[in-house]
Order: sequence, then C-alpha cells, then structure tokens
Amino acid sequence: MDIREKLKKGFFILDGAMGTMLQQAGLRPGERPELMALTHPEAVERIHRAYIAAGADAVYTNTFGANAHKLAGSGYTAANVIAAAVGCAKRAAKGSGCAVALDIGPVGELLEPAGSLSAETAYALFSEQVKAGEAAGADFIAIETMSDLYEAKLALLAAREHSRLPVFVTMTFEENGRTFTGCCPSAMALTLEALGADAIGVNCSLGPKKLRPIAEEICRWSCLPVIVKANAGLPDPQTGEYDVTPAQFAEEAAACAAAGVQILGGCCGTSPDYIRALRERLAGMQPQKREGEVPAALCSAERTVALNGVRVIGERINPTGKKRFKQALQQGDIDYILSQGLSQLEAGADLLDVNVGLPGIDEPAMMERVVRRLQAVCDAPLQLDSSNPAALERGLRAYSGKPVVNSVNGDPKTLRAVLPLVKKYGAAVVGLTLDEAGIPPTPEGRLAIARRILDAALNEGIRREDVYIDCLTLTVSVDAAEAGRTLDAVRLVRQELGLQTVLGVSNVSFGLPAREQLNAAFLTLALGAGLTLPIMNPNASQMMGAVAAYRVLSGQDPGAARYIAGYGQAGAEKAGASAAAQTAGASREALESAIQNGLEEESRRIASLLLQEEEPVKLVEGCLIPALDRVGERFEKGQIFLPQLLQSAQAAQAAFDRVRDRIAASGMASADRGTLVVATVRGDIHDIGKNIVRVILENYGFRVIDLGRDVPPERVAEAVEEHHIRLVGLSALMTTTLPSMEETIRILHERAPGCRIFVGGAVLTEDYAQKMGADYYAKDAKRSVDIAREVLCGEGAAL
Amino acid sequence: MSEPFSVDCREALRYLGFRGKEADEATAALLKQAADRLVKMAQPRTIWKQFSLAEDEEGLYLPQAGLRLAGRAVQRHLCGCRQCILMAATLGLETDRLLQRTQLQNMALAATMDACASAAIEDVCNRLCRKLIESSGPLTARFSPGYGDLPLTLQRDFIRLLDAPRKIGLTLTESCMLTPQKSVTAVMGILPEGMEKSVLDRCGSCDMRKHCPYRSEQEGD
Repeated sequence: MDIREKLKKGFFILDGAMGTMLQQAGLRPGERPELMALTHPEAVERIHRAYIAAGADAVYTNTFGANAHKLAGSGYTAANVIAAAVGCAKRAAKGSGCAVALDIGPVGELLEPAGSLSAETAYALFSEQVKAGEAAGADFIAIETMSDLYEAKLALLAAREHSRLPVFVTMTFEENGRTFTGCCPSAMALTLEALGADAIGVNCSLGPKKLRPIAEEICRWSCLPVIVKANAGLPDPQTGEYDVTPAQFAEEAAACAAAGVQILGGCCGTSPDYIRALRERLAGMQPQKREGEVPAALCSAERTVALNGVRVIGERINPTGKKRFKQALQQGDIDYILSQGLSQLEAGADLLDVNVGLPGIDEPAMMERVVRRLQAVCDAPLQLDSSNPAALERGLRAYSGKPVVNSVNGDPKTLRAVLPLVKKYGAAVVGLTLDEAGIPPTPEGRLAIARRILDAALNEGIRREDVYIDCLTLTVSVDAAEAGRTLDAVRLVRQELGLQTVLGVSNVSFGLPAREQLNAAFLTLALGAGLTLPIMNPNASQMMGAVAAYRVLSGQDPGAARYIAGYGQAGAEKAGASAAAQTAGASREALESAIQNGLEEESRRIASLLLQEEEPVKLVEGCLIPALDRVGERFEKGQIFLPQLLQSAQAAQAAFDRVRDRIAASGMASADRGTLVVATVRGDIHDIGKNIVRVILENYGFRVIDLGRDVPPERVAEAVEEHHIRLVGLSALMTTTLPSMEETIRILHERAPGCRIFVGGAVLTEDYAQKMGADYYAKDAKRSVDIAREVLCGEGAAL
Repeated sequence: MSEPFSVDCREALRYLGFRGKEADEATAALLKQAADRLVKMAQPRTIWKQFSLAEDEEGLYLPQAGLRLAGRAVQRHLCGCRQCILMAATLGLETDRLLQRTQLQNMALAATMDACASAAIEDVCNRLCRKLIESSGPLTARFSPGYGDLPLTLQRDFIRLLDAPRKIGLTLTESCMLTPQKSVTAVMGILPEGMEKSVLDRCGSCDMRKHCPYRSEQEGD
C-alpha cells in the first residue's frame, strides 16, 4: 500500500484511542496494555475492526510502550510484542484497504542531560521497534505523543536508518503552545520536515478545538501534510470521563481540516463512534490548499529564529586566539564554554557559532558534548563550525532543532563530504566563496563560486533558503581595497541569488589599533550592502550599536522600540552607576569588606588597583584567604548562611580572576594551591551541592576538575590517574545512588591507593561515610575546604 | 494546564539553613530576584487519582491497582483509611533549565532559587491538597516513596498508575529519581468520617525529625 500516494488524494482518517478501548475490554490500571496482543489478541483485533468499520484509513498497532525499557520484567521482548500486535492489526485490516501503522511512543524517561537516558540507548530501543515492525509487515511508522523534540528526532532517525517505510510524527502540546519539554510548534515543524518525515502534527493532551491553533502554526511552518489526533476533550479527574461528544468532536475536527489539516483521528477518550462521526462530517469536504511560503529559519527546540532581518551570530565559542578558552577545552571545563554562550545571548546574539577544534582535542566528541550541554541551558539556534566532517556529523546528530553548518566551499571535495550530512540531518549550510584555487580576487569570481555551491546544494535536495553565502572578509591592513571587494560581492550575491549572507566581520581590522571602531564602520557598510548574518562579538558595544542603529534605519525595528529599550533611560542609568562606583578608595580593608558584603564588581575593581602595587601571591595570602576564612567562620557559627557565603565567594572569585590575569601576564608561578576532582556519582543527577562545593573550593585557589553528574566510577578513576589527583570529592543525594558512591570509592582505593576521598550529600552521615570507606565526610562546602587544605596544603584541619 | 503557585520566602529561608532567623537585606534582595524569575518560568502541573485501600496480613495494598504499600511507617500513616489518593506534582522542565542556567552565572542566586523552587513545589502540593480536601473531605498528610521504610522504588508504580509522563511530563530515571527535579509524588489517606488526625504535623511520621537540619529551632525537639 502506498501511503505517500494516498496522501495526495484527500483526507486520511486515523483510528481513535486504543488504551480507552482496552480498559473497556478489561485492562486493569497499571497493567501493561501492550501485552494484550499476546494475552487477548482477539480483543485487540476486535478494537481494530471496529475502527476500520467506522471508516479509518489506518489503524495504529497496540505498541505505544512496546520498547525493551518499558517491557523490562514482563518476560517479553519488544520483537515478540510488536510481531503479535502487528499481526492483530493486519488480520483485522485484511481485505479492507486499511493501512497498519507501527505505533512508537516515547521511551518514558527523560534524555540526558535533563534526565539520565542516553541518546544511544533511546536510539537503540527505537531501532529495535522499527526493525520488528517492518519485519512484521507494518505499512508505515507512526511516532507519537513525543514531548522532547530530540527524542522525536532519534525515533525518526531510527526509522529512516532501518526502514524505507513512510513516517508520521506527532508531538503533544499543552494549551500554552509548548510541549512539556518546552518545544514550540514552529521548531517541531522545521526540524522534522528537514529530517524527512512524511507527515507531522499533534496528538493527545487536548480536544480538537484547543489543538487547532497549534495545528495552524505547524501549517505555517511546513509544507508537509499535517496531522491532528486529538483527545475527546478533557477528562474529569474524578471519573475519567471526557467532555466532548462524537458530534462536537467531528465539528471541531472539521474546523481543523478547514485550516489546512489533512490527516485526522482520535486519541484518549475517543471511540469508533468519534471516528464514524468524523468520517461523515468530512465526507463533503476537500483538503484545504495551503498558501504561502515557509520562511527561511533556524531553530532550537524552544526557539525559532526567522531570517527576515539582521541576525547576530555570536563568535565567542571559539578557541582561536583565546588562551582561557583553549585551557577550558583542554581541561574539559564545559561550564566555562556554556557561560560564554550565555553571556553572548544576554548581550543580544540571536545565534551562536560553536567551534571547538584544537590540536590534541578529540573534536568530534567535544562537539557532541558541547552541543548537548549548550542546548540544555540556552535556547539560541547553533551554527556548527568545523572543517572536520566527523565533528560536524556528531554535532548534527546531537542537535535538537535545525542548525546551520559552517562551512563548505567551492572545492568539490568539501561539497561531497559535507552536503550529504547537511541534507540528512536537516540543517542549513554556509558556503565560503573560495575553492581549491584560493579566494577569487574579483566580486564576480566569488559570485561564481556562490552559484556553484548553491547548485550543488540544490542537487543534494537542500532547500534554496537554507544556503547562506560568506563572501569572506579580508584584512584591510594588507590591502585597503579588500573591504570594497567583499562589500561588492555581498551586494552581488543578494542581487543575483537572493541568499542569506554571512561575514566574519572583525577580520577586517586585524593588525590595526582600535579595532572595534573599524569593525563597527565596516559592519555598517556591510549591512547596507546586504549582509544579513554578521558573525561577531556581541559583547562589543560599538558593533552591537551599529546593528541596533541599522535595524532602526532599515525599518527592521518598528517605532525604534528595541532601540529605545536598549539605549533609553535604563541603559543610561547603568552607565552612571558604574561611574559612581569608581570613586571609592582601594585598600586591603576595602577589599575585605567588599568580599564580606558580597560585592563582586567592587571586589574586582579594588583588586585591580591593589595589584598595581602588591605582588599577586601576597594579596592572596595576606588578604583574600584571611577574608574568606572570616566569612567561613561566620558561616560555621551560624551568623551568616549559604546565600551570603556564596555571594562572598563570588566577590572573592572576581578578585582571584584579576590575580590570575596578573600572574598570566607576568609569567609568574601559578597561584593554584593544588588540584582535585569532584563528581556526582552515577545514577544521581542532583548536583547543585557539588557545584556549590566547587565554587567555594575554587575560591580558595584550588583547581577543581568537575566531572559533572551521573558519572560512572571508571571515569572518576581515569581522571584521577590522568591528572595524578590526591583528593576526590563525591556527592550523592538519594539512598538509591549510595551503592554507586560505594562502588566509586572501592574502585578509587584499588586504582589510586594514595588518593583521599571525601563525600557529601543529604542522606549521608559521618558514620555512613566511614562505613563506605571514605576518608572524610563533608557536611557542607566550608568543611570541604578544610579537607582540601589538610590534604593538599598540609595545613591543620578545621580552622 | 499550568497551576498557580507562590513562593513562601520563609520556607525558602528554612531550606537555606536559616532555622527561623530573619534574612539580611542582601539575602532578602536575592530571594526576591530568585522568586521573581522562578514565578515567571515555572510551569507547575499536578495529577491525582483515587484508589480504594485494603489491608491483609502482609499489610496495605491498593486492590484496583494490584499495588502493595510496603513498610510499617506508611501503614501507621494511613491507618483506618479505606480510600487513598495518589498524587504527583512538578514545576516542569523549565525550572530545571532555569536552575542549571543560573548555576553557571551566579551560584548565590542559584542556591537561593533552588530553595525557592523547593518551597514552590510544596506550595503547589498544598494547594492541590486543599482542593482535594474540599472535594473529598479530610486527608492525612502526604507520604512519599522514600520516606521511612516505604521503598523509593515505589515511584515506578506511582508514576505508571498516574500516567504521569503523558499527563504532566513527569518521568523517572533508572535510579528512581524524579525528572524534572523539582517534583513530588505522594499518597494521602482519605480520613473516614469521625476520624481525627493531626494532619498539620507534617513531621509527625518522619524518621528524620530528631536530626533534621531544616526544622526551625522552635520546631526542633
């Protein structure tokens, strides 16, 4: 049966609820519905028959939770259950012309890093389902009730990589227009269409009336057939009865059809009566032709950025020329990289470039790690920046949403290596106007390469709107005419091809003083020539000012609303406040008081002034550490509490940053007082306690290698061996993860007998810590500092 | 659908170890900032279901669900009740993300916000309980898997029986941790008519009450 052909012909009616019907057939709460295909196949078959008789064009198999995870302990494999369930549906559908869809629901656990389910595990579970379903003879695959866009992507990838069957994907949205994990309809539509789904839409959660606005949004952002498989309204919490009748349901669903929805069916609370009413109501109607183009756009799961004006790409996640960033990459300090991303977003970046290539770094692994972690904390779409196709593929596979790849160029070798990845993973792509012969000196030469790149992308099946061209900024200190050539090339690409244009703006001023001034002027000219996607430092205020001004002058900021919000009264006040703070004096006492009162800016400023006179080490030993000790003492005595302790710590950190800068600039010996490893043990994802300990330890000048949360024992041992660590801190919050803490301790004692271990966490006690074989129990962050001083600096215990 | 809630700052201070002491000015400002951001981002959701409760020689069980509530503590807690309510509540993944993000930028704010979130999820549960008391009559206090000797692994059954992943986006990790992190599951007994029980003493049946760091000095034994 050719579903794709059928979809061209008219409405396509899906079945209604399976769970609701199974309960009527005797399924008890808490029983696994999927097993009914094996225990009561006739009941399942009867339900399918009823839907087919009611007019369904397709029935979904009773396999929503038929994955190895949910079936664990049932005695059945996913393949057993799926074969039986597809069998039931096929027997029921025989001779009717009704298609059978392999139903795949979510795994039921949250994916990393929000949860602890790995992408690899989820993908393997979905693959197993897909293979079993195709082998059993399903006609297409229906991935449904997804809440996490990334989980939907993994299921869709599994379907595409293990079968040739058409794939429908529906997600579940709340009334606020988002899924439980925050995904919005536009992001869902852009992402799943680009990944090759055959139809997309919504199911469950609400009735058709309330799902309509969401379906309309999906219609705006996709050319694919759109699905609505709604509930029979809302259930009464007491009785479980749904509040929409079959006739109302059909009426509301018909309104969805009039808005462009082509595939309709029912979810929780619906029955064959609803499907019959729906079929009858749609009998005289034809699917609505959808008008309008889908805008060029990029997205994360939470945010869609339409490319209908200037969009700033933040360039700071890149090691080139940045000592601190390189160090973070080498030490695996992902938190530093994330904070770079967050500060760019606060400064107004719309998109973030991600480049983690550095000699000696496993770039593919790092790309995947950074993409995952970044997406867990920030919602800006990403530009994956690498010349290594393997790193690009790992990043693309890990990405939730629609990213852009930076970059390909006119060299057929890079086009062949990278464009298929761009297509497969549904990304956009930046093409650099250079090729194996170098950068053409004329604007026309660069246009010709742009054309070649566009043709190659179109041939690969990539949409025209998804090709962006970088005409390359060259340094004016070498040849002043370069700026003009770049601008001419941008103008030509806009005029001739109408594509989005990218430029790494700040290259223009390389080797010259007062660079930001030149950058801002060049940026203004480039925006005027048609640059739409400047890659730049959003923390550079002159450049951001040029963008803001351009938006006003080009009509992209109606009523100058954004401009006024950014540069009106609020902005002026901020500038005034920092000027006033400059006047207070600088002394050790002032620094200590700033630390005690938790004043970060003040502490940074005074430290800078003091460092003009004082040796960094003396300032640390003579002022910072004693100030922290006094704060710690007050904390121990219950005179101050955690928020104040941490505010003081942050103020001290600001001073320490200045000390480190000074030491790095002068080539003096480092002020680090020793290195330790901290980790939240395997299975545990509550890590705020560990993070607090880390902040306080760093404050005292210790270098902390933070392995994160849910860390396997072996990884802790490896880090200890690799860095010759003498002290490890482990945290666990729950009783269920104490065994994995114990195991970590055991492995550490075996592999690194000289290494001391301290442990902390809500359910631990001194006694229990000892029983597990830990050397120390840290009841709070302050105690962990005392332990570190004792072990790493040979100082006496508690002060 | 997202539920209304508020952040009880005194409760948040308790989680931060203030043990009944007042916040200083800086902490008060930090608390306000944390609570404001949280209120803007959090999307609390709740779900509950009523079950009948039976007892045999092995202890308490829910006959419709085929579920045993193992342990003496819960048996004491629900003693005399013929009906119970299973409930789950969560502040949603938005809150987890906000807390993660804040930890990267400002740990003092993050720690304060974490305490506010704990207070907020309590408030969400309390509001639900008040609503349930209106409709079903007096209830016992909430009792959660992991309290006393009620096994934490019971989370799996609670989550499954409430269809919590689908209904409110609440799931479990393999090690039985609730995700999103600021979430609660619990069982409450519906008190039969005429039966009095001090439902306000929330620490009454907790094994930790003797050395709980969160109880204020007045509350402490």
